[in-house]
Amino acid sequence: MERTLRQKQIRRTNPTAIRVVHVVVYILLVALALFTLIPFVWMLSSSLKLDREVFSYPIKWIPETFRWENYSLIWQKVPLLTYFKNTAFIAIVVTFLQTLTSSFAAYAFAKLEFRGRDTLFLCYIATIAVPWQAYMLPQFIMMRSIGLYDTLWAMVVLQAFSAFGVFLMRQFYRGIPTELCEAARLDGLSEYGIWARIMLPLSKAAIATLIIFTFVGTWNDYMGPMIYLTKDLNKTVQVGLRRFIQENSSDYHLIMAVSVCSLVPVSVVFLALQKYFIEGIATSGLKG
Amino acid sequence: MKKMLSVVLAAMMLLSLLAIPAMAEDQVLKIVTWDATTTPYLIAQKEAYEASHPGVKIEYVDVASQDYPIKASSILRDDKENDIYMVKEIDDIIKWNDQGYAEPLNAYVEKTGYDLSGFVGTDKNYCVGDELYAVPFRSDFWVLFYNKDLFDAANEPYPTNDMTWEQYAEVAKRLTKDGVYGTHYHTWLSAVANWTVADGVNTLADKNYDDLLYFYKLYQDLEDSGACMAYSELKASGLHYSAAFANGNIAMMPMGYWYVSTLINYNKEGTCNFNWGIAAVPHAEGVKAGSSFGNLTGAMINKNSTKKDLAWDYISWLGGEQGAAATASVGARPAYVSEAVAAAMSAVEGFPADETSKGALIPAFVGMEWPVADKVADIKTIVNEEHTMIMSREITPEEGIKEMNERVAELFE
Amino acid sequence: MSYGEIKRAHARMSRVERKKTLVAYSFLAPNYLGFAIFTLVPVVCAIALSFFEWNGGDISKLRFVGFENYATIFNVKKISQNGLGYFFNRVDLGIALKNTMFYTIITVPLTIVCALALALLLNKIKGAVVFRTIFFFPYVASMVAICVCWSFMLMKDGPVNQMIMSLGIPFNKSWTADSTMAMWAIILVSVWRNMGYYMVLYLAALQGVPKELLEAATVDGAGKWKQFLHVTLPQLRPTTFFVSVMMMISCFKIYDVVAIMTEGGPGRSTKMLVTYIYDEAFVKIRYGQASAISMILLVIVLIFTMIQFRSEKRFSND
Repeated sequence: MERTLRQKQIRRTNPTAIRVVHVVVYILLVALALFTLIPFVWMLSSSLKLDREVFSYPIKWIPETFRWENYSLIWQKVPLLTYFKNTAFIAIVVTFLQTLTSSFAAYAFAKLEFRGRDTLFLCYIATIAVPWQAYMLPQFIMMRSIGLYDTLWAMVVLQAFSAFGVFLMRQFYRGIPTELCEAARLDGLSEYGIWARIMLPLSKAAIATLIIFTFVGTWNDYMGPMIYLTKDLNKTVQVGLRRFIQENSSDYHLIMAVSVCSLVPVSVVFLALQKYFIEGIATSGLKG
Repeated sequence: MKKMLSVVLAAMMLLSLLAIPAMAEDQVLKIVTWDATTTPYLIAQKEAYEASHPGVKIEYVDVASQDYPIKASSILRDDKENDIYMVKEIDDIIKWNDQGYAEPLNAYVEKTGYDLSGFVGTDKNYCVGDELYAVPFRSDFWVLFYNKDLFDAANEPYPTNDMTWEQYAEVAKRLTKDGVYGTHYHTWLSAVANWTVADGVNTLADKNYDDLLYFYKLYQDLEDSGACMAYSELKASGLHYSAAFANGNIAMMPMGYWYVSTLINYNKEGTCNFNWGIAAVPHAEGVKAGSSFGNLTGAMINKNSTKKDLAWDYISWLGGEQGAAATASVGARPAYVSEAVAAAMSAVEGFPADETSKGALIPAFVGMEWPVADKVADIKTIVNEEHTMIMSREITPEEGIKEMNERVAELFE
Repeated sequence: MSYGEIKRAHARMSRVERKKTLVAYSFLAPNYLGFAIFTLVPVVCAIALSFFEWNGGDISKLRFVGFENYATIFNVKKISQNGLGYFFNRVDLGIALKNTMFYTIITVPLTIVCALALALLLNKIKGAVVFRTIFFFPYVASMVAICVCWSFMLMKDGPVNQMIMSLGIPFNKSWTADSTMAMWAIILVSVWRNMGYYMVLYLAALQGVPKELLEAATVDGAGKWKQFLHVTLPQLRPTTFFVSVMMMISCFKIYDVVAIMTEGGPGRSTKMLVTYIYDEAFVKIRYGQASAISMILLVIVLIFTMIQFRSEKRFSND
């Protein structure tokens, strides 16, 4: 017993052994990272190839000649700029509204006592479980009757008040000690003051998380814009991408180029906020 | 100087104020359709109508073709904006009439004395009971496309308008060598097995699918011998038939007539530069040469439209002789049949000049790809599901057809 | 205290109470109004619709049919004759249920194992940020783009098969056109896309494992593996539980990957509950039946959610 313990301690403290373990871990990680990135690499490399080179055998990961003109070509074929503008508008407004109203509502759910709290919250949760396809039609009928159909605002009101945001922020606020709020109340702060001066500054990480999720979700949404936006002037990137794929179904290189373009904005938002984001998940109740 | 500038500005503003109502007098017809930017006949129809009807503007509402059913049936509800909807599948009309979105057209036909005889009966497909709900303007039937250059290189005589499926299969196998495929089947059910309806007796809704076996066997034999690309490959890559044939290594391809306009365009743009021709699709033993099947495309008036009379004016024009001429001018086949239209079709620049191709323009019989029938949407799903199973070789054709028979029978229990 | 005083105090209390409730509602209002109008009301309508026959047209054509929609989708008549085997092999709903469950049962553990493994590898290592970002990236990419990319990669002569072949394994099937492999293609893409997300959750949880416990285990002579098995894993239980429930919900609702990559085929081999709902609602315009199917989905998911809530309470009481 003692000997095995000593052996283990030796093994643990042995610097070469540690180094070997580290090297193995890194090799594994690099391999896994490659596996994760392969589709993106392939997408990128195909987007710079000629049509017929995309499926050449064996695969060439690096194109023989880089055909950057593929990228200028797609801008001529589809009004990508309009699509980008629309999607950016929807994504930014939704993200702003979602973050603001969710953190507001979440504060009430997490820190205030009032009648009907649990019932109201249960409604949020229950709707998460219903697939959108099931209630799309009643929703559409309503949107049309209030005149929002085929406006960008339709997408805004549909996505800005989702249950998810409230759920996430509530989980986070529950982690903030209630004593903080009580102390502030004794100091004479109103509930609004507590929300603005204590909760908001403390929830930067959660807000970053919510921003990423909302922005990414809105940016990548396909079905919603497909149903609600009809005018060419109103179309979004994902709808444009799908249409492009259908109308140019054999121009694999161009499809890949459009795909790469559609990824750029979300990647930027993600990379910019990812530091807070991971912290946000770690501290918000999202982990359970 | 300043004064003058302000006078000019004021004058300009006044002018523009005058100009706006003047422009607004243009009536706009909104038409919901699919792939409007890439479909030549839609562009031609719009141009022709606007030229002959000053003061009316056509505006297309474009939807991706795959999403058309869901998109159209959701935006149709309470739609006061769009006047006309194009009908993609024949049974859409049943659906839309059921839902109360389709304007009945008999009254308009009577009022304007519209002559339906040019549709040679195809308009019946858009009737529910005796009431007409849409006007057909395109009627595509399937023909055999072939690459003349590949036939020349192999010293093989061109396909004729009277060829059996056996003869066709032999030719396909003979032409297969050095990276050349003798023939090409797109992944659809229609490309592989729809031929059974060409005899005028069978339909795909007749609850018995035994007659499909012959064509699945024929297909599998061709696939096994390497005379056509494998289904599984096509399915995964999503390779479009238009690009496949345009690549120049496919000798024959059964496809809908609409592909003529695509090919003419390809020739113009230089996407492909070989010579091609069309022939009647092969026929089974005992079926009249030149028999084929096809599909209709039509236009329907939205019941909630505020410009129904103008909309009727458009769709009656679209289906009639002049609309047909516009449709034919880019190589698409109108539903309206007349000598003049047939002449216009073969006179399209880029249309193959040989007699066989011209002969193929007049089919002996055209069955409907899918008939108007009870529960046809369910039947479609079932037959298509089993089709994919047979084609990807999960089950044998015999098993698949047995499944089709059983599952369709269950629908009617 | 006199009775009057008590009454006054009571009145004051309820005034305070009422004010508190008003304040709370003012916090809720902006979000809840939007949510109630645009989501809750339509959802309630959808629930009601499952008892009606409706073709999506004029609302006056709604017809109350009770449980008929449920009887139809379960094909009750046939099941009573032929048993459950018939239901799961022949009836659309049974097949969709079976496929969705199979997909869920494989995807959930597989993703958890991958996510946990990644988290363990990344825990306390230099350069973790870079790897973390890479592994998370698929989660932010658009479904349309990545699914198109994956179906190209999973073609017969595509890069994936080329790699498998180069390992000396004879394999050249087109994944999405094969009824067994199609399901695995969908699972592969799902795991690939989600593992980074759940990895982050695990990373966070790992930071919460008390060092003292690990040290104590070391002193007791436990090796790395035993340490993991007896200390780390039990500590991660709440996370694992939360993750698996959340994932089950999202797995039951799978739609995009299937719609883009296989369209439910070949045959019915990747037909899922939501693709079935879509088909009934928009292709066959039977909204009543479509709603009935979603109710079945809702019930399944609610059961999982309930279990989750129960155990969340249990864990937080621990």
